[in-house]
Amino acid sequence: MQVTINNKKYRCKEGETILDAAKRNNICIPTLCYQEDFKSSARCRMCVVEADGRIVTSCSTKVCDGMNVFTETEKVLRYRKLNAELLMAQHQDSCFVGNKNHDLCKIAKDVGLREVRFKPRKDVMMDIKGSSIARHNEKCIVCGRCVKTCKELQCVHAIDFASRSHHTHVTPFFEKSLGEVLCINCGQCIINCPVEAITEKENIDDVAKVLNNPKKIVVAQTAPAIRVSLGEEFDMEPGTNVKGKMVSALKRLGFDSVFDTNTGADFTIMEEASELIERIQKGKNLPLITSCCPGWIKFAEHYYHGLLKNISSCKSPHEMLGSLIKSYYAKKINKNPRDIVVISIMPCTAKKFEAARKELKNSVDYVLTTRELAKMIKSKGIKLRDLKKSKFDDPLGISTGAAAIFGATGGVMEAALRTAADVLTGKELKKIDYKGVRGLKGIKDASIKIGNKKLRVAVVHGMGNAKRLIDSGIKKYHFIEIMACPGGCIGGGGQPIPTNNEIRQKRIDAIYKEDKSLAYRKSHKNPTLIKVYKEFLGKPLGRKSEELLHTSYVKRRLY
Amino acid sequence: MKILQKTNLEAYEKAKRLGSKKTVELIKKKGLTGRGGGGFPTGLKWEFALKSKGERFLIVNADEGEPGTFKDKFIIENNPELLAEGILIACHTLSIKEAYIYLRGEYNYLKDRLERAIKNLVKKTKAKSDIKIVSGAGAYVCGDETAIIQSIEGKRGQPYIKPPYPTDAGLWEKPTVINNVETLANIPLLLLDNDWNNNLRLFSLSGNIEKPGVYEIETGTNLKYILDMVKPKNRIKAVYFGCSGGCIPVKDIKMEKESVARCGCMLGCSSLIFVDEKQSIVDMATNIAKFFEYESCGKCTPCREGTMRVLNLLQEISLGNATKKDLQTLEELTYFVRDCSLCGLGQSSMNHLITALNFFRKEFEERCR
Ligand code: SF4
Ligand code: FES
Repeated sequence: MQVTINNKKYRCKEGETILDAAKRNNICIPTLCYQEDFKSSARCRMCVVEADGRIVTSCSTKVCDGMNVFTETEKVLRYRKLNAELLMAQHQDSCFVGNKNHDLCKIAKDVGLREVRFKPRKDVMMDIKGSSIARHNEKCIVCGRCVKTCKELQCVHAIDFASRSHHTHVTPFFEKSLGEVLCINCGQCIINCPVEAITEKENIDDVAKVLNNPKKIVVAQTAPAIRVSLGEEFDMEPGTNVKGKMVSALKRLGFDSVFDTNTGADFTIMEEASELIERIQKGKNLPLITSCCPGWIKFAEHYYHGLLKNISSCKSPHEMLGSLIKSYYAKKINKNPRDIVVISIMPCTAKKFEAARKELKNSVDYVLTTRELAKMIKSKGIKLRDLKKSKFDDPLGISTGAAAIFGATGGVMEAALRTAADVLTGKELKKIDYKGVRGLKGIKDASIKIGNKKLRVAVVHGMGNAKRLIDSGIKKYHFIEIMACPGGCIGGGGQPIPTNNEIRQKRIDAIYKEDKSLAYRKSHKNPTLIKVYKEFLGKPLGRKSEELLHTSYVKRRLY
Repeated sequence: MKILQKTNLEAYEKAKRLGSKKTVELIKKKGLTGRGGGGFPTGLKWEFALKSKGERFLIVNADEGEPGTFKDKFIIENNPELLAEGILIACHTLSIKEAYIYLRGEYNYLKDRLERAIKNLVKKTKAKSDIKIVSGAGAYVCGDETAIIQSIEGKRGQPYIKPPYPTDAGLWEKPTVINNVETLANIPLLLLDNDWNNNLRLFSLSGNIEKPGVYEIETGTNLKYILDMVKPKNRIKAVYFGCSGGCIPVKDIKMEKESVARCGCMLGCSSLIFVDEKQSIVDMATNIAKFFEYESCGKCTPCREGTMRVLNLLQEISLGNATKKDLQTLEELTYFVRDCSLCGLGQSSMNHLITALNFFRKEFEERCR
């Protein structure tokens, strides 16, 4: 099929849109409501072009043979500019010259918008009651990206449109707060919003306050996924590992100690692998489902009460480490746990909600997202690029490659298999790369031979994929890893914007590179961990471990 | 009036005798076109449906929301049996088991009457189709086919982009025929009457006139002739084709699709609102703009934001606060909303203003600083 675009002929495929064809041939058309991998709703009308003399939206109009398209006629440009002007007036933010994170601002700049002739609207609505996510509806331009993400990608259905005409707005049902409904706090809406109308609920001020309190010992811990993404906030290539510089920056911000959540992840593996072995031997509550992702936990608490017994009782890594900091570490440094404040730097908004759960007392006090940390570093004028590297602090500083890969989809599965295989076979296996569970495929299904046993495992990321897997029946599996965010934690709702598949892959690559570079690559070989079990915890699933490293779940209602 | 004829199921019997194929052929041959405003050939629509596979649905569009239009109401009020027979013929011809009448919320008081007529005929014919009446909730946009489908499915009444066309995947994703009340009421008439003629239409006439009401008039009749019938109170200055069709100054013009289109207007479902010289076109424009601002479903930017900004500007103009530059902005907006809106509501919401600015520009300019 042949289509003429701006007087040049191109071969096109049946069924593709004008936008697809243009993109493939490096012809730029601005889009706003359009999201790759979703059906176009064509609501923003930013991507208009002239096709055969008619104005059409290129993201929704399919090409046909002999079509004659112009992407930049005088009329088209005029309309795009007016569109941007109307949206800017609705957005109620005069930031259109600066903010590089805003798709709308980028577009406004590209179309040459200088002045907004319309008055800003007066209705200001904010939703800041939840513990993870805040919505600033006064900035919202009703593009619907968050709604589509929540509905189609995550299958959570926490938000939708209400009212009509220019009163149309995005809201949970009955104008409730996100904190009151079945929102799982994954924050994928934040990643997808073009105007920062949805953000994390910031805890920067709380953290600044404790940092200024001389009576408190303030401890930071950093998740596996943030060392490979933080650099992006400072204009570094996606996938740059800034581990050492990040530790230095945290020290500069005034944290007394900086620990690695990866160490917590090693504990998670010890406990979870033991749980898996126990359940397989008893043949009870299988499949075992991972519990590191608080988004998935809340999803199950709302939607899948029957599965709560299958979910591992392990706390997530940062909560384990938090507990150990306030018990083991407090004893070591001879301090009252009440004087220690634990701050987790996470790629995740749901961890904020998790930290506030009443089942998880005495561990983490505040959670900051990658973006919040970047903001703090910037506001102090610290140049991340120029910092020297530092090491994580002891005695909870050493971690393994198994923990490093927690940040990528399939990582928890692989880490657990590395340990479980050694324990089940009683050998030290050399083959430890489980490639079948890696990668960005939505649902990964693998059979793994350990000794004379065959384990059937599945790995899913993105709540929609999890729902599809669960609804298709999971009895046949022994072990399932579920992460709420596409790509796993490296694609979390607290990560730098933009986050797309290309960037996800780069972050993942960096994580597997770290795995390869480490001295220890199996959790049970971690000397710190061996020491803590010996000195303090006893054995995995023992009484003390159960008390400090495990938790329970509650049933929540749908509405 | 032909539309008031009682056909007493004779047409239904005839359609049964003819069979599906021949009935559709006949409708095609007689040239019946949709009366909801679009004017799509009804026979063709039915033919598409006949070719589709599996379960099918019929939706009767009785969501007569266009201001100044009341012909469907007239039919339901005065000859519901004719409509019911049309529906039964459609159901029989297209083997439809379930039909929905999407009745405008404001017409709820007619529900009983319509229900009775349908029950009666169903009983008499022992037809197996289930015909339900669904009440609209008062959104103008639900006159749009795709929005009706959403609304009946219990969703937010918002249009979506076609394709898929309803005849391929409509209600519950099944092939669906959507016909207007007047269209269906004409089916029995056309089957029985050899002289039946597609040009005979119901006109809704209203405004500053002594004799408003529903008239049966041939399309192509001269406006001046119609004007004589309705007895204006004062000299008539402009005629509006509903709210969405635009307006023209009174002149020698045939009331037919093409001539009206040449003036930049749409005849639509033949609603004429007469405005006399005592009225101000700016006030008319503001009023109509308010209507569209209120009725926008809020989905796409041009219609959601554009109609609101247009209203604001018009209000400023009426108050004498606006400048010539504002008038320019207003005009810029009108074309943007018309060309870039997602559905018919937004696309036609500016016709009144574009034509008013064309024919009565002075009135606007006089009010600007
Ligand atoms: S909150 Fe953001 S993503 Fe959601 S509709 Fe508004 S502008 Fe779009
Ligand atoms: S990007 Fe095409 S309509 Fe929004």
